[in-house]
Amino acid sequence: MDAKTDPSAISHLPDLAWPPAGVSDSVPFGVFTDQATYDLEQERVFRPTWNYLALEAEIPNAGDYKSTFLGDTPVVVTRDTEGEIHAWVNRCAHRGAMVCRENQGNNADGTYTCVYHQWAFDAKGDLIGVPFRRGLGGKGGYPKDFDMKEHGLQKVRVENYHGLIFGTFNEDLVDVEGFLGGEGDVSYHMKRILNRPLKVLGHTRQFVDSNWKIYAENTKDPYHASLLHLFHMTFGLYRSSQVGGVSLGDEWHSVLFASAGEEDESTKKENKENASRTYQEGYTLADMSLLAGRKEYDDGVTLVILSIMPSLVVQQIQNTLAVRQILPKGVDQFELVWTYFGYDDDDAEMDAIREKQVNLIGPAGLISMEDGEACELVQNAIIRDRDARSCIQMSGHDFKDEPHLVTEGPVRSFWNRYRLLMDF
Amino acid sequence: MSDQVRSDTRLSSVSRDVRDQIADLQADYIAALDSQDMKGWLASFDENNSSYFCRSKENEDEGLEVGYMFDDCHERICDRVKFVDEIWAGTFEEYQTRHFLQPTRCKSLGEDLYSAQTNFTVMYTDDAGITKVLASGCYDDEIVVNGVARLRSRKAVLDTNVVPRYMVYPI
Repeated sequence: MDAKTDPSAISHLPDLAWPPAGVSDSVPFGVFTDQATYDLEQERVFRPTWNYLALEAEIPNAGDYKSTFLGDTPVVVTRDTEGEIHAWVNRCAHRGAMVCRENQGNNADGTYTCVYHQWAFDAKGDLIGVPFRRGLGGKGGYPKDFDMKEHGLQKVRVENYHGLIFGTFNEDLVDVEGFLGGEGDVSYHMKRILNRPLKVLGHTRQFVDSNWKIYAENTKDPYHASLLHLFHMTFGLYRSSQVGGVSLGDEWHSVLFASAGEEDESTKKENKENASRTYQEGYTLADMSLLAGRKEYDDGVTLVILSIMPSLVVQQIQNTLAVRQILPKGVDQFELVWTYFGYDDDDAEMDAIREKQVNLIGPAGLISMEDGEACELVQNAIIRDRDARSCIQMSGHDFKDEPHLVTEGPVRSFWNRYRLLMDF
Repeated sequence: MSDQVRSDTRLSSVSRDVRDQIADLQADYIAALDSQDMKGWLASFDENNSSYFCRSKENEDEGLEVGYMFDDCHERICDRVKFVDEIWAGTFEEYQTRHFLQPTRCKSLGEDLYSAQTNFTVMYTDDAGITKVLASGCYDDEIVVNGVARLRSRKAVLDTNVVPRYMVYPI
Protein backbone atom coordinates (compact mmCIF):
# COMPACT_ATOMS: atom_id res chain seq x y z
CA MET A 1 0.00 0.00 0.00
CA ASP A 2 1.50 3.30 -0.95
CA ALA A 3 1.39 6.55 0.95
CA LYS A 4 -1.57 7.80 -1.02
CA THR A 5 -3.89 4.98 0.06
CA ASP A 6 -2.65 4.10 3.53
CA PRO A 7 -4.16 6.65 5.96
CA SER A 8 -1.72 5.70 8.70
CA ALA A 9 1.16 6.77 6.47
CA ILE A 10 -0.17 10.33 6.33
CA SER A 11 1.56 12.47 8.87
CA HIS A 12 -0.31 15.48 10.19
CA LEU A 13 2.27 18.18 10.82
CA PRO A 14 0.98 20.29 12.41
CA ASP A 15 -2.47 19.52 11.11
CA LEU A 16 -2.21 19.26 7.34
CA ALA A 17 -2.33 15.95 5.51
CA TRP A 18 1.21 15.82 4.16
CA PRO A 19 2.62 12.73 2.53
CA PRO A 20 5.24 10.98 4.71
CA ALA A 21 8.47 12.83 5.45
CA GLY A 22 10.84 12.69 2.52
CA VAL A 23 8.02 12.26 0.00
CA SER A 24 7.07 15.52 -1.68
CA ASP A 25 5.20 14.40 -4.76
CA SER A 26 2.02 16.07 -3.52
CA VAL A 27 1.14 18.84 -1.09
CA PRO A 28 -2.05 19.58 0.85
CA PHE A 29 -3.77 22.67 -0.53
CA GLY A 30 -4.12 24.12 2.97
CA VAL A 31 -0.46 25.13 2.76
CA PHE A 32 -1.62 27.81 0.30
CA THR A 33 -4.59 29.02 2.33
CA ASP A 34 -3.73 28.87 6.07
CA GLN A 35 -2.93 32.11 7.84
CA ALA A 36 -1.00 30.26 10.56
CA THR A 37 1.25 28.68 7.92
CA TYR A 38 1.81 32.09 6.31
CA ASP A 39 2.82 33.62 9.64
CA LEU A 40 5.15 30.73 10.44
CA GLU A 41 6.81 31.08 7.02
CA GLN A 42 7.92 34.60 7.87
CA GLU A 43 9.76 33.23 10.91
CA ARG A 44 11.09 29.99 9.43
CA VAL A 45 11.42 30.52 5.69
CA PHE A 46 11.99 34.22 5.02
CA ARG A 47 13.77 35.79 8.00
CA PRO A 48 16.43 33.09 8.52
CA THR A 49 17.43 32.77 4.84
CA TRP A 50 19.10 35.02 2.27
CA ASN A 51 16.48 37.20 0.59
CA TYR A 52 17.12 39.30 -2.49
CA LEU A 53 16.75 43.01 -1.65
CA ALA A 54 18.25 45.09 -4.46
CA LEU A 55 20.64 45.33 -7.34
CA GLU A 56 23.83 47.09 -6.39
CA ALA A 57 23.23 49.13 -9.56
CA GLU A 58 20.04 50.53 -8.00
CA ILE A 59 22.08 52.27 -5.29
CA PRO A 60 25.32 53.13 -7.13
CA ASN A 61 26.24 56.33 -5.27
CA ALA A 62 27.07 57.23 -1.68
CA GLY A 63 23.82 58.24 0.05
CA ASP A 64 21.58 56.19 -2.26
CA TYR A 65 18.82 54.12 -0.72
CA LYS A 66 15.99 51.81 -1.76
CA SER A 67 12.94 50.71 0.22
CA THR A 68 11.85 47.13 -0.17
CA PHE A 69 10.76 44.13 1.87
CA LEU A 70 12.34 41.03 3.36
CA GLY A 71 9.39 38.66 3.31
CA ASP A 72 6.66 41.07 4.33
CA THR A 73 8.89 43.11 6.65
CA PRO A 74 9.69 46.60 5.30
CA VAL A 75 13.44 47.18 5.02
CA VAL A 76 15.67 49.88 3.56
CA VAL A 77 18.94 49.19 1.77
CA THR A 78 21.41 52.08 2.01
CA ARG A 79 24.85 53.04 0.81
CA ASP A 80 26.64 55.15 3.38
CA THR A 81 28.92 58.09 2.72
CA GLU A 82 31.92 55.70 2.63
CA GLY A 83 30.21 53.51 0.03
CA GLU A 84 29.38 50.60 2.35
CA ILE A 85 26.01 48.88 1.92
CA HIS A 86 23.67 48.38 4.88
CA ALA A 87 20.07 47.40 5.50
CA TRP A 88 17.69 47.93 8.39
CA VAL A 89 14.05 47.40 9.23
CA ASN A 90 12.08 50.46 8.16
CA ARG A 91 10.51 51.01 11.57
CA CYS A 92 11.52 53.74 13.96
CA ALA A 93 13.04 52.48 17.22
CA HIS A 94 10.97 55.10 19.04
CA ARG A 95 7.29 54.47 18.35
CA GLY A 96 7.40 52.23 15.32
CA ALA A 97 6.68 54.66 12.48
CA MET A 98 8.05 54.11 8.99
CA VAL A 99 11.32 56.05 8.78
CA CYS A 100 11.87 56.09 5.02
CA ARG A 101 8.77 56.82 2.96
CA GLU A 102 10.23 56.97 -0.56
CA ASN A 103 10.81 53.99 -2.86
CA GLN A 104 14.31 55.17 -3.59
CA GLY A 105 16.44 58.28 -3.51
CA ASN A 106 19.62 59.84 -2.20
CA ASN A 107 20.32 61.25 1.25
CA ALA A 108 23.56 63.10 0.61
CA ASP A 109 24.12 63.77 4.33
CA GLY A 110 23.43 60.11 5.13
CA THR A 111 20.72 60.93 7.67
CA TYR A 112 17.32 59.24 7.87
CA THR A 113 14.89 61.16 10.06
CA CYS A 114 11.57 59.79 11.21
CA VAL A 115 8.92 62.43 10.53
CA TYR A 116 6.88 61.60 13.67
CA HIS A 117 9.24 62.83 16.44
CA GLN A 118 12.36 63.40 14.34
CA TRP A 119 14.55 60.67 15.71
CA ALA A 120 17.47 60.66 13.29
CA PHE A 121 19.49 57.64 12.16
CA ASP A 122 22.56 57.22 9.97
CA ALA A 123 22.81 54.92 6.96
CA LYS A 124 23.96 52.07 9.24
CA GLY A 125 20.74 52.43 11.23
CA ASP A 126 22.41 53.85 14.35
CA LEU A 127 20.55 56.53 16.29
CA ILE A 128 22.38 59.85 15.95
CA GLY A 129 19.92 62.45 17.15
CA VAL A 130 16.86 62.83 19.39
CA PRO A 131 15.00 66.15 19.78
CA PHE A 132 14.39 67.40 23.33
CA ARG A 133 16.79 64.81 24.67
CA ARG A 134 17.46 66.99 27.73
CA GLY A 135 14.00 68.54 27.67
CA LEU A 136 13.18 72.23 27.50
CA GLY A 137 14.05 74.63 30.29
CA GLY A 138 14.85 71.75 32.62
CA LYS A 139 11.50 70.07 31.99
CA GLY A 140 10.96 66.76 30.24
CA GLY A 141 13.74 65.06 28.34
CA TYR A 142 14.90 61.46 28.37
CA PRO A 143 16.12 59.82 31.56
CA LYS A 144 19.83 60.02 32.44
CA ASP A 145 20.28 56.34 31.63
CA PHE A 146 18.92 56.75 28.08
CA ASP A 147 21.62 55.26 25.83
CA MET A 148 21.51 56.23 22.15
CA LYS A 149 23.41 53.03 21.30
CA GLU A 150 20.50 50.92 22.52
CA HIS A 151 17.94 52.57 20.28
CA GLY A 152 19.18 52.00 16.78
CA LEU A 153 17.08 50.53 13.99
CA GLN A 154 16.89 46.75 13.74
CA LYS A 155 19.76 45.81 11.46
CA VAL A 156 19.64 43.32 8.62
CA ARG A 157 22.77 41.39 7.67
CA VAL A 158 23.64 42.05 4.03
CA GLU A 159 25.93 40.57 1.42
CA ASN A 160 26.68 41.83 -2.06
CA TYR A 161 26.79 38.75 -4.29
CA HIS A 162 28.14 39.77 -7.69
CA GLY A 163 25.93 42.85 -7.77
CA LEU A 164 22.87 41.33 -6.10
CA ILE A 165 22.30 42.48 -2.53
CA PHE A 166 20.85 39.86 -0.22
CA GLY A 167 19.67 40.32 3.35
CA THR A 168 18.89 38.03 6.28
CA PHE A 169 17.97 38.25 9.95
CA ASN A 170 20.16 35.20 10.56
CA GLU A 171 23.66 36.03 11.84
CA ASP A 172 24.67 32.36 11.76
CA LEU A 173 23.72 31.62 8.16
CA VAL A 174 26.47 30.63 5.71
CA ASP A 175 27.41 33.18 3.06
CA VAL A 176 25.33 33.53 -0.10
CA GLU A 177 27.57 31.22 -2.12
CA GLY A 178 27.13 28.54 0.53
CA PHE A 179 23.39 29.21 0.63
CA LEU A 180 23.25 28.61 -3.12
CA GLY A 181 24.78 25.20 -2.55
CA GLY A 182 28.42 26.12 -2.95
CA GLU A 183 30.18 25.51 -6.22
CA GLY A 184 27.65 23.91 -8.52
CA ASP A 185 25.21 24.62 -11.30
CA VAL A 186 23.19 27.21 -9.39
CA SER A 187 26.12 29.40 -8.46
CA TYR A 188 27.64 28.76 -11.90
CA HIS A 189 24.55 30.11 -13.65
CA MET A 190 24.25 33.02 -11.21
CA LYS A 191 27.82 34.06 -11.99
CA ARG A 192 27.28 33.42 -15.69
CA ILE A 193 24.53 36.07 -15.78
CA LEU A 194 26.15 38.34 -13.18
CA ASN A 195 29.49 38.25 -14.95
CA ARG A 196 30.11 42.01 -15.04
CA PRO A 197 28.63 45.29 -13.73
CA LEU A 198 24.91 45.70 -14.37
CA LYS A 199 22.79 48.56 -15.64
CA VAL A 200 19.13 48.99 -14.56
CA LEU A 201 16.70 49.28 -17.50
CA GLY A 202 13.46 49.64 -15.52
CA HIS A 203 10.85 47.97 -13.32
CA THR A 204 7.38 46.57 -13.56
CA ARG A 205 5.28 45.45 -10.63
CA GLN A 206 2.15 43.35 -10.36
CA PHE A 207 -0.08 42.02 -7.62
CA VAL A 208 -1.07 38.42 -8.11
CA ASP A 209 -3.95 37.15 -6.00
CA SER A 210 -2.40 33.86 -5.03
CA ASN A 211 -0.13 32.44 -2.38
CA TRP A 212 3.55 33.12 -3.13
CA LYS A 213 4.38 29.40 -3.21
CA ILE A 214 2.14 28.82 -6.21
CA TYR A 215 4.45 31.14 -8.09
CA ALA A 216 7.50 29.44 -6.59
CA GLU A 217 6.21 26.15 -8.01
CA ASN A 218 5.62 27.82 -11.37
CA THR A 219 9.24 28.95 -11.62
CA LYS A 220 10.46 25.42 -10.88
CA ASP A 221 8.28 23.65 -13.41
CA PRO A 222 9.82 23.62 -16.88
CA TYR A 223 7.13 21.55 -18.53
CA HIS A 224 4.27 24.06 -18.22
CA ALA A 225 6.17 26.51 -20.40
CA SER A 226 5.50 24.89 -23.74
CA LEU A 227 1.89 24.08 -22.84
CA LEU A 228 0.71 27.31 -21.22
CA HIS A 229 2.79 29.83 -23.12
CA LEU A 230 1.66 29.45 -26.71
CA PHE A 231 3.92 32.24 -27.88
CA HIS A 232 6.87 30.01 -27.01
CA MET A 233 5.49 27.18 -29.12
CA THR A 234 4.36 29.36 -31.97
CA PHE A 235 7.78 30.86 -32.50
CA GLY A 236 9.86 27.90 -31.38
CA LEU A 237 11.49 29.81 -28.54
CA TYR A 238 10.97 27.00 -26.09
CA ARG A 239 9.80 23.45 -26.54
CA SER A 240 9.74 20.66 -24.00
CA SER A 241 11.67 18.59 -26.53
CA GLN A 242 14.49 21.13 -26.59
CA VAL A 243 18.01 20.43 -25.40
CA GLY A 244 18.02 21.47 -21.77
CA GLY A 245 17.66 20.32 -18.23
CA VAL A 246 17.22 21.06 -14.57
CA SER A 247 19.77 21.27 -11.80
CA LEU A 248 19.17 21.54 -8.10
CA GLY A 249 21.57 23.50 -5.96
CA ASP A 250 21.10 22.51 -2.37
CA GLU A 251 17.72 20.93 -3.23
CA TRP A 252 15.91 24.18 -2.57
CA HIS A 253 17.06 26.40 -5.38
CA SER A 254 16.93 25.27 -8.96
CA VAL A 255 18.07 26.20 -12.42
CA LEU A 256 16.17 25.40 -15.59
CA PHE A 257 18.07 25.89 -18.81
CA ALA A 258 17.50 25.32 -22.50
CA SER A 259 19.64 25.74 -25.59
CA ALA A 260 18.74 26.99 -29.03
CA GLY A 261 19.88 23.68 -30.55
CA GLU A 262 17.50 21.66 -32.70
CA GLU A 263 16.04 18.41 -31.42
CA ASP A 264 15.47 15.53 -33.84
CA GLU A 265 12.31 15.43 -35.97
CA SER A 266 10.61 12.53 -34.18
CA THR A 267 10.98 14.17 -30.75
CA LYS A 268 9.64 17.38 -32.21
CA LYS A 269 6.65 15.55 -33.64
CA GLU A 270 5.97 13.72 -30.39
CA ASN A 271 6.10 17.01 -28.52
CA LYS A 272 3.55 18.53 -30.85
CA GLU A 273 1.19 15.59 -30.56
CA ASN A 274 1.19 15.90 -26.78
CA ALA A 275 0.00 19.50 -26.73
CA SER A 276 -3.78 19.46 -27.09
CA ARG A 277 -4.23 23.13 -27.76
CA THR A 278 -3.51 23.92 -31.34
CA TYR A 279 -0.85 26.27 -32.41
CA GLN A 280 -0.14 27.48 -35.87
CA GLU A 281 2.90 26.67 -37.90
CA GLY A 282 4.76 28.97 -40.18
CA TYR A 283 3.74 31.99 -38.16
CA THR A 284 5.49 35.22 -38.91
CA LEU A 285 5.53 38.61 -37.31
CA ALA A 286 5.40 41.91 -39.16
CA ASP A 287 8.47 42.85 -37.15
CA MET A 288 10.62 39.77 -36.67
CA SER A 289 13.34 41.93 -35.09
CA LEU A 290 11.57 41.28 -31.77
CA LEU A 291 13.04 37.80 -31.85
CA ALA A 292 16.30 38.54 -33.65
CA GLY A 293 18.44 39.42 -30.67
CA ARG A 294 22.15 38.86 -30.37
CA LYS A 295 24.17 35.91 -29.13
CA GLU A 296 25.63 36.92 -25.80
CA TYR A 297 27.03 33.77 -24.27
CA ASP A 298 29.29 31.22 -25.92
CA ASP A 299 27.39 28.25 -24.50
CA GLY A 300 24.35 28.73 -26.76
CA VAL A 301 21.99 28.66 -23.77
CA THR A 302 19.01 30.90 -24.55
CA LEU A 303 16.89 30.37 -21.47
CA VAL A 304 17.89 30.21 -17.83
CA ILE A 305 15.44 30.40 -14.95
CA LEU A 306 17.21 30.44 -11.60
CA SER A 307 14.73 30.01 -8.80
CA ILE A 308 16.51 31.10 -5.63
CA MET A 309 14.24 30.49 -2.70
CA PRO A 310 12.46 32.05 -1.01
CA SER A 311 12.28 35.36 -2.79
CA LEU A 312 14.13 35.53 -6.07
CA VAL A 313 14.08 34.47 -9.69
CA VAL A 314 16.99 35.43 -11.93
CA GLN A 315 16.36 34.95 -15.60
CA GLN A 316 17.80 35.09 -19.07
CA ILE A 317 15.23 34.62 -21.82
CA GLN A 318 16.82 35.40 -25.18
CA ASN A 319 18.44 38.79 -24.46
CA THR A 320 16.18 39.75 -21.58
CA LEU A 321 17.87 39.73 -18.22
CA ALA A 322 15.80 40.30 -15.13
CA VAL A 323 15.39 39.61 -11.46
CA ARG A 324 11.92 38.90 -10.15
CA GLN A 325 11.43 39.59 -6.46
CA ILE A 326 8.63 37.65 -4.79
CA LEU A 327 7.06 39.65 -1.97
CA PRO A 328 4.36 37.85 0.03
CA LYS A 329 1.54 40.22 0.96
CA GLY A 330 -0.78 37.86 2.78
CA VAL A 331 -1.89 34.30 2.48
CA ASP A 332 -3.53 34.91 -0.91
CA GLN A 333 -1.53 37.73 -2.47
CA PHE A 334 2.03 38.45 -3.51
CA GLU A 335 3.67 41.30 -5.32
CA LEU A 336 6.04 40.41 -8.12
CA VAL A 337 8.65 43.07 -8.79
CA TRP A 338 10.48 42.75 -12.12
CA THR A 339 13.77 44.59 -12.44
CA TYR A 340 15.13 44.51 -15.98
CA PHE A 341 18.82 44.97 -16.48
CA GLY A 342 21.62 44.86 -18.98
CA TYR A 343 25.36 45.28 -18.62
CA ASP A 344 27.09 48.55 -17.96
CA ASP A 345 29.13 48.13 -21.12
CA ASP A 346 26.17 47.34 -23.43
CA ASP A 347 26.22 49.37 -26.62
CA ALA A 348 23.21 51.33 -27.87
CA GLU A 349 22.11 48.50 -30.14
CA MET A 350 22.16 46.04 -27.25
CA ASP A 351 20.12 48.46 -25.12
CA ALA A 352 17.57 48.62 -27.94
CA ILE A 353 17.43 44.82 -28.27
CA ARG A 354 16.83 44.40 -24.56
CA GLU A 355 14.19 47.14 -24.39
CA LYS A 356 12.33 45.59 -27.29
CA GLN A 357 12.51 42.07 -25.86
CA VAL A 358 11.09 43.19 -22.53
CA ASN A 359 7.81 42.69 -24.42
CA LEU A 360 8.39 38.98 -23.80
CA ILE A 361 8.28 39.21 -20.02
CA GLY A 362 6.59 41.06 -17.16
CA PRO A 363 2.88 41.49 -16.32
CA ALA A 364 1.98 41.89 -20.01
CA GLY A 365 4.77 39.65 -21.28
CA LEU A 366 4.20 37.49 -24.32
CA ILE A 367 5.55 34.48 -22.42
CA SER A 368 4.79 35.42 -18.82
CA MET A 369 1.36 37.03 -18.77
CA GLU A 370 -0.25 33.61 -18.37
CA ASP A 371 1.71 32.78 -15.20
CA GLY A 372 -0.12 35.45 -13.19
CA GLU A 373 -3.39 34.03 -14.39
CA ALA A 374 -2.40 30.40 -13.75
CA CYS A 375 -1.48 31.21 -10.12
CA GLU A 376 -4.90 32.78 -9.56
CA LEU A 377 -6.67 29.84 -11.18
CA VAL A 378 -5.10 27.59 -8.55
CA GLN A 379 -5.77 29.89 -5.60
CA ASN A 380 -9.41 30.35 -6.57
CA ALA A 381 -10.05 26.63 -6.85
CA ILE A 382 -8.34 25.20 -3.75
CA ILE A 383 -10.43 26.97 -1.13
CA ARG A 384 -11.99 24.79 1.58
CA ASP A 385 -10.46 21.41 0.75
CA ARG A 386 -7.29 22.02 2.70
CA ASP A 387 -6.34 18.37 3.03
CA ALA A 388 -6.90 17.56 -0.63
CA ARG A 389 -3.53 17.22 -2.32
CA SER A 390 -1.96 18.14 -5.61
CA CYS A 391 -0.11 15.66 -7.83
CA ILE A 392 3.52 16.50 -8.55
CA GLN A 393 4.74 13.34 -10.25
CA MET A 394 6.04 14.29 -13.67
CA SER A 395 9.32 12.38 -14.02
CA GLY A 396 8.86 10.39 -10.83
CA HIS A 397 8.62 10.86 -7.07
CA ASP A 398 12.12 11.96 -6.23
CA PHE A 399 14.29 14.85 -7.31
CA LYS A 400 17.66 15.03 -8.96
CA ASP A 401 19.47 16.83 -11.74
CA GLU A 402 17.87 15.82 -15.04
CA PRO A 403 19.02 16.34 -18.64
CA HIS A 404 15.52 17.16 -19.94
CA LEU A 405 12.62 19.53 -19.35
CA VAL A 406 9.71 17.14 -18.83
CA THR A 407 9.89 17.10 -15.05
CA GLU A 408 8.48 18.47 -11.83
CA GLY A 409 11.56 17.36 -9.88
CA PRO A 410 12.56 20.91 -8.85
CA VAL A 411 9.04 21.45 -7.46
CA ARG A 412 9.40 18.32 -5.34
CA SER A 413 12.81 19.43 -4.12
CA PHE A 414 11.36 22.81 -3.16
CA TRP A 415 8.66 21.17 -1.05
CA ASN A 416 11.13 18.80 0.54
CA ARG A 417 13.28 21.68 1.77
CA TYR A 418 10.26 23.78 2.68
CA ARG A 419 8.99 21.03 4.95
CA LEU A 420 12.37 20.75 6.64
CA LEU A 421 12.50 24.48 7.27
CA MET A 422 8.90 24.60 8.47
CA ASP A 423 9.19 21.38 10.49
CA PHE A 424 6.12 20.07 8.62
CA MET B 1 2.87 76.71 -14.54
CA SER B 2 3.14 80.22 -15.91
CA ASP B 3 0.13 81.91 -17.51
CA GLN B 4 1.99 81.96 -20.82
CA VAL B 5 2.66 78.21 -20.83
CA ARG B 6 -0.86 77.44 -19.75
CA SER B 7 -2.49 79.48 -22.49
CA ASP B 8 -0.21 77.89 -25.11
CA THR B 9 -1.21 74.39 -24.17
CA ARG B 10 -4.87 74.92 -23.31
CA LEU B 11 -7.33 72.93 -25.31
CA SER B 12 -8.64 76.21 -26.74
CA SER B 13 -5.19 76.95 -28.20
CA VAL B 14 -6.12 74.74 -31.15
CA SER B 15 -9.11 75.10 -33.44
CA ARG B 16 -12.47 73.58 -32.63
CA ASP B 17 -12.20 71.47 -35.77
CA VAL B 18 -8.88 69.96 -34.64
CA ARG B 19 -10.26 69.39 -31.15
CA ASP B 20 -13.27 67.60 -32.61
CA GLN B 21 -11.08 65.32 -34.72
CA ILE B 22 -8.88 64.49 -31.73
CA ALA B 23 -11.96 63.87 -29.58
CA ASP B 24 -13.26 61.44 -32.21
CA LEU B 25 -9.92 59.64 -32.24
CA GLN B 26 -9.90 59.28 -28.45
CA ALA B 27 -13.49 58.06 -28.42
CA ASP B 28 -12.84 55.54 -31.20
CA TYR B 29 -9.72 54.32 -29.39
CA ILE B 30 -11.44 53.58 -26.08
CA ALA B 31 -14.59 52.23 -27.77
CA ALA B 32 -12.39 49.74 -29.61
CA LEU B 33 -10.47 48.63 -26.50
CA ASP B 34 -13.61 48.40 -24.39
CA SER B 35 -15.14 46.05 -26.95
CA GLN B 36 -11.90 44.00 -27.23
CA ASP B 37 -11.65 45.12 -30.86
CA MET B 38 -7.89 45.01 -31.40
CA LYS B 39 -8.16 45.85 -35.08
CA GLY B 40 -10.15 48.94 -34.14
CA TRP B 41 -7.37 49.80 -31.71
CA LEU B 42 -4.83 49.40 -34.51
CA ALA B 43 -6.88 51.72 -36.74
CA SER B 44 -6.23 54.58 -34.31
CA PHE B 45 -2.55 54.62 -35.26
CA ASP B 46 -0.94 56.29 -38.27
CA GLU B 47 -0.12 53.39 -40.54
CA ASN B 48 2.89 55.16 -42.04
CA ASN B 49 4.72 55.74 -38.81
CA SER B 50 3.58 55.17 -35.26
CA SER B 51 4.54 53.85 -31.86
CA TYR B 52 2.85 52.72 -28.66
CA PHE B 53 4.39 52.51 -25.21
CA CYS B 54 2.82 51.58 -21.90
CA ARG B 55 5.00 52.14 -18.88
CA SER B 56 4.89 53.19 -15.25
CA LYS B 57 5.42 56.77 -14.13
CA GLU B 58 8.23 55.38 -11.96
CA ASN B 59 10.22 54.42 -15.07
CA GLU B 60 9.14 57.52 -16.99
CA ASP B 61 10.37 59.81 -14.20
CA GLU B 62 13.75 58.04 -14.20
CA GLY B 63 14.06 58.36 -17.97
CA LEU B 64 13.80 54.57 -18.36
CA GLU B 65 11.97 53.43 -21.47
CA VAL B 66 10.95 49.88 -20.71
CA GLY B 67 7.62 48.97 -19.26
CA TYR B 68 4.62 46.80 -19.89
CA MET B 69 4.45 47.25 -23.66
CA PHE B 70 7.10 48.61 -26.01
CA ASP B 71 5.95 48.87 -29.62
CA ASP B 72 8.36 51.26 -31.24
CA CYS B 73 7.14 50.80 -34.83
CA HIS B 74 3.84 50.31 -36.58
CA GLU B 75 4.71 46.73 -37.45
CA ARG B 76 4.87 45.75 -33.79
CA ILE B 77 1.57 47.46 -33.11
CA CYS B 78 0.18 45.17 -35.84
CA ASP B 79 1.90 42.22 -34.15
CA ARG B 80 0.28 43.06 -30.80
CA VAL B 81 -3.12 42.62 -32.47
CA LYS B 82 -2.00 39.18 -33.62
CA PHE B 83 -0.72 38.24 -30.14
CA VAL B 84 -4.04 39.05 -28.49
CA ASP B 85 -6.43 37.88 -31.23
CA GLU B 86 -4.61 34.77 -32.43
CA ILE B 87 -1.69 33.56 -30.36
CA TRP B 88 -3.14 34.11 -26.89
CA ALA B 89 -6.70 33.30 -27.97
CA GLY B 90 -8.30 30.91 -25.52
CA THR B 91 -5.49 31.04 -22.96
CA PHE B 92 -6.40 34.09 -20.93
CA GLU B 93 -9.51 34.95 -18.97
CA GLU B 94 -11.07 37.84 -20.85
CA TYR B 95 -11.89 40.91 -18.88
CA GLN B 96 -14.10 43.86 -19.64
CA THR B 97 -12.46 47.27 -19.47
CA ARG B 98 -13.98 50.75 -19.35
CA HIS B 99 -11.72 53.66 -20.16
CA PHE B 100 -12.62 57.15 -18.92
CA LEU B 101 -10.68 60.02 -20.46
CA GLN B 102 -10.24 63.69 -19.69
CA PRO B 103 -8.21 65.85 -22.07
CA THR B 104 -6.04 68.35 -20.25
CA ARG B 105 -3.51 69.82 -22.70
CA CYS B 106 -3.12 70.24 -26.45
CA LYS B 107 -0.82 72.26 -28.65
CA SER B 108 0.30 72.51 -32.24
CA LEU B 109 3.75 71.13 -33.09
CA GLY B 110 3.60 72.64 -36.59
CA GLU B 111 2.01 71.51 -39.84
CA ASP B 112 -0.56 68.81 -39.06
CA LEU B 113 1.08 67.46 -35.89
CA TYR B 114 -0.26 68.10 -32.38
CA SER B 115 0.76 67.05 -28.92
CA ALA B 116 -1.93 66.18 -26.42
CA GLN B 117 -2.16 65.03 -22.82
CA THR B 118 -5.22 63.13 -21.66
CA ASN B 119 -5.86 61.66 -18.22
CA PHE B 120 -7.30 58.18 -18.06
CA THR B 121 -8.85 55.83 -15.57
CA VAL B 122 -9.41 52.25 -16.60
CA MET B 123 -11.76 49.96 -14.68
CA TYR B 124 -11.87 46.24 -15.28
CA THR B 125 -14.54 43.66 -14.55
CA ASP B 126 -13.59 40.02 -14.22
CA ASP B 127 -15.60 36.90 -14.95
CA ALA B 128 -17.10 36.95 -11.46
CA GLY B 129 -18.49 40.41 -12.16
CA ILE B 130 -16.23 42.20 -9.70
CA THR B 131 -15.09 45.65 -10.88
CA LYS B 132 -11.78 47.15 -9.80
CA VAL B 133 -9.37 49.84 -10.96
CA LEU B 134 -6.88 48.58 -13.52
CA ALA B 135 -4.87 51.75 -13.92
CA SER B 136 -4.88 55.49 -13.63
CA GLY B 137 -2.53 57.72 -15.55
CA CYS B 138 -1.99 60.01 -18.50
CA TYR B 139 -1.64 59.59 -22.24
CA ASP B 140 1.17 61.63 -23.75
CA ASP B 141 0.38 61.70 -27.47
CA GLU B 142 1.53 63.03 -30.78
CA ILE B 143 -1.40 63.13 -33.15
CA VAL B 144 -1.55 63.71 -36.89
CA VAL B 145 -4.67 65.69 -37.85
CA ASN B 146 -5.48 66.01 -41.53
CA GLY B 147 -9.18 65.47 -42.05
CA VAL B 148 -8.97 62.54 -39.69
CA ALA B 149 -6.85 62.22 -36.55
CA ARG B 150 -4.40 59.33 -36.06
CA LEU B 151 -1.87 58.57 -33.34
CA ARG B 152 1.74 59.13 -34.38
CA SER B 153 2.83 58.06 -30.93
CA ARG B 154 1.04 57.20 -27.73
CA LYS B 155 2.73 56.86 -24.40
CA ALA B 156 0.39 55.53 -21.70
CA VAL B 157 2.10 56.50 -18.45
CA LEU B 158 0.63 54.71 -15.43
CA ASP B 159 0.51 56.33 -12.00
CA THR B 160 -0.60 52.89 -10.89
CA ASN B 161 2.75 51.41 -10.00
CA VAL B 162 1.62 47.91 -9.13
CA VAL B 163 -0.91 46.62 -11.63
CA PRO B 164 -3.43 43.96 -10.67
CA ARG B 165 -2.97 40.44 -12.03
CA TYR B 166 -1.78 40.62 -15.63
CA MET B 167 -2.31 42.77 -18.69
CA VAL B 168 -3.51 41.43 -22.02
CA TYR B 169 -5.01 44.48 -23.68
CA PRO B 170 -3.21 47.75 -24.22
CA ILE B 171 -4.36 50.73 -22.16
